Amino acid sequence: MRIAVCRPQVPFAYGGAEIFTDDLVAQLRARGHEADLVTVPFKWYPGARVLSQAFLWRLLDLEEADGAHIDMVVATKFPSYVVRHPEKRVWLVHQFRQAYELDRTELGQFDDSAEDRALRRRVQQLDRVALGEASRLFATSRNVAGRLERSTGLVAEVLPHPAQELPYRNDGHGDFVLSVNRLDRAKRVDLLVEAAATEPSLNVVVAGDGPDRERLEQLARSLRLDGRVRFAGRVPADELAGLYATCFATFYAPVDEDFGLGPYESFLSAKPVITATDSGGPLDVVHDGATGLVVEPEPAAVARAAVWLRDHREQAEAFGLAGQALAAEVTWDRALERLLS
Amino acid sequence: MRIAYFSPLPPERSGIADYSALLLPALRTRVQLTVVRRGAKRPPRGTDLAVYHIGNNPDAHGWILDALRRAPGLVVLHDFVLHHLVAGVTVGRRDGHAYLDAMEREAGVVGRLLAHGVLDKRLPPLWENRPEDFPLAGEVLSLATGLVVHSAHVHDRARDAGYEGPVSVVPHPAWPVPDTPAAGLSGDPLLGCFGNVNQSKRVPQLLEAFAELRRHRPGARLLLVGAVSPGFDLERRLQRLGIEGDGILREGYVDEARLWALMKACDVHVGLRSPTMGETSGSAIRALSLGKPLVVSDAGWFRELPDDVALKVPVGADEVVTLTAALELLADRGDVRESMGAAAHELARREHDLERAADRYVAAFETTAGGRAVSDALLREVSEAGADVGIEPGSPEAKELARRLAEVDLGA
Repeated sequence: MRIAVCRPQVPFAYGGAEIFTDDLVAQLRARGHEADLVTVPFKWYPGARVLSQAFLWRLLDLEEADGAHIDMVVATKFPSYVVRHPEKRVWLVHQFRQAYELDRTELGQFDDSAEDRALRRRVQQLDRVALGEASRLFATSRNVAGRLERSTGLVAEVLPHPAQELPYRNDGHGDFVLSVNRLDRAKRVDLLVEAAATEPSLNVVVAGDGPDRERLEQLARSLRLDGRVRFAGRVPADELAGLYATCFATFYAPVDEDFGLGPYESFLSAKPVITATDSGGPLDVVHDGATGLVVEPEPAAVARAAVWLRDHREQAEAFGLAGQALAAEVTWDRALERLLS
Repeated sequence: MRIAYFSPLPPERSGIADYSALLLPALRTRVQLTVVRRGAKRPPRGTDLAVYHIGNNPDAHGWILDALRRAPGLVVLHDFVLHHLVAGVTVGRRDGHAYLDAMEREAGVVGRLLAHGVLDKRLPPLWENRPEDFPLAGEVLSLATGLVVHSAHVHDRARDAGYEGPVSVVPHPAWPVPDTPAAGLSGDPLLGCFGNVNQSKRVPQLLEAFAELRRHRPGARLLLVGAVSPGFDLERRLQRLGIEGDGILREGYVDEARLWALMKACDVHVGLRSPTMGETSGSAIRALSLGKPLVVSDAGWFRELPDDVALKVPVGADEVVTLTAALELLADRGDVRESMGAAAHELARREHDLERAADRYVAAFETTAGGRAVSDALLREVSEAGADVGIEPGSPEAKELARRLAEVDLGA
């Protein structure tokens, strides 16, 4: 089949959705499909630009390319699913969250003016129409599917996607907690930094980059952590696999996360995950006392969980192995069979 | 967001007054809302959106239509057929010319001629005889910057009438069931019919079907609750059918507490209606909340009730036969009554939840209040981008852009 995988592009940004779609194209090609990535830059401000930029997708003609028919498009996140195609499948990473659960939070975009309120409703209406057109609708997690159903009434099949391919391994129970994330406020890496401040024996490595990095580094400096929190930046694949292999646990506690590759990557290295009760998608696989620890989103609770996992090596390893078995169930073969059927 | 809310309210005896009394507390927790006093001509200063509840009764809604004419806004359209309302604010105010204009707008020269016939008393009043043929909703629709309706039926009729603004379908919210005992009435079974006793509630057909049912089930009783409409001779009809006496139980207009008590006592609720003005039945909504099986007309909003909740009787030639069969089925089969009642209760919980209705209202408020500005901003940006690369208004490329915008509801 000729398949166009659609994702919006935020220039100079690269995160979980980009890894996922790059992998999806590679996996489709590995199975003999002719697959390609279609991207359109996306800027969602100011004002009604969120709609005009979304509308660009509607003008694309992806029914054929250079005279050859395109059999299917697979759209992933807002606004790529505004694209039109008779065989439009949506594997939903997330909607435009500012119009939904992030509205009227510090991460929101729309104020209380009549125009902004109406704009938010138009984004929701656009979702209802564009997602309603899909011949099949999948969501990467129960959290994403639940939000979709609550906001639009549309029902999606839950289809998690595998983590990126890395040389995953377990080199033993190390002495630090690892956070792997794009550094923006919604990922709440500051919870872990502040946890290190409450527990002087705790060591932390933060991998990843993003707009919140400077603030986080400043926070670590102001808390005088004496180098116990190391910011590794965006690290190459081998180094990332090494960090997973040598930590004793990972921390992954964004606010109401859609899906979250972090726990899967951690599990593939047989490492348990600390997450928060309000983290959303990760709760599909991080089960308290089984594959990790689920705590209140407070630094002290995170610190207690980290120390417990560090000091209870046997249990931490058992949690990691249980997670590994769970992650092993999520394979590209299974996912693509459902996506394309 | 500041909302100015125009509606009849209790103690006015109106279904829409009851509706607003139910809805207002839930809305007030979500938006800043001012209830406009009866007779006010305009929304207060600083209002973001005026909301007008429009129904067919000129006494309850004439002043609201007057205010809508001065300041367009969101219309909650409780009835699609507004002939009574329009007649009330035209003929009823000795403004025959306005009635002629309304009829001409609706049906052209023929409409105007018919209206002349009515004004000259050569024809019976159309609002009494044929309102459904001339709904006269055109003026209200032209003034509405957005619509809230309670059914797909009214949504479709508004669209068929050419309304292009935003339309939100908000199911009628269900009242919480009061914790009062059922009235001490019984029958085998007890059928209940609530509302004005008249032709349009299909009471003649109901009486005939009930008389037929009584031949096989002498223990069946029919409770009629509501005022008898002028000109409807209930007693004579009962005599003719031989069902006067203990088979029929009568109550006139009752207060809310008595209404619930009577409704609770019934085994089956009958809610027939034809012609329909597009309205939703508050009695039927109460029956759903109570988990009572329904028998309704296969028309208007009633048609949208799920089949596992209501038996639907087509209006017309075989109406009495079908109605009799429906009543017999429910009289004979307690298990069917029970399963339909359970489905009714679930429907009320799922689709007619008050908080959900209030959320949908807020969505409608927000969509309408700033919707025009958003559309203008979007279309300006798209048209400017098109013009920058030489796409002329009216060109095939411009039409393609317009078509694509419309496909995803981003058009004007």
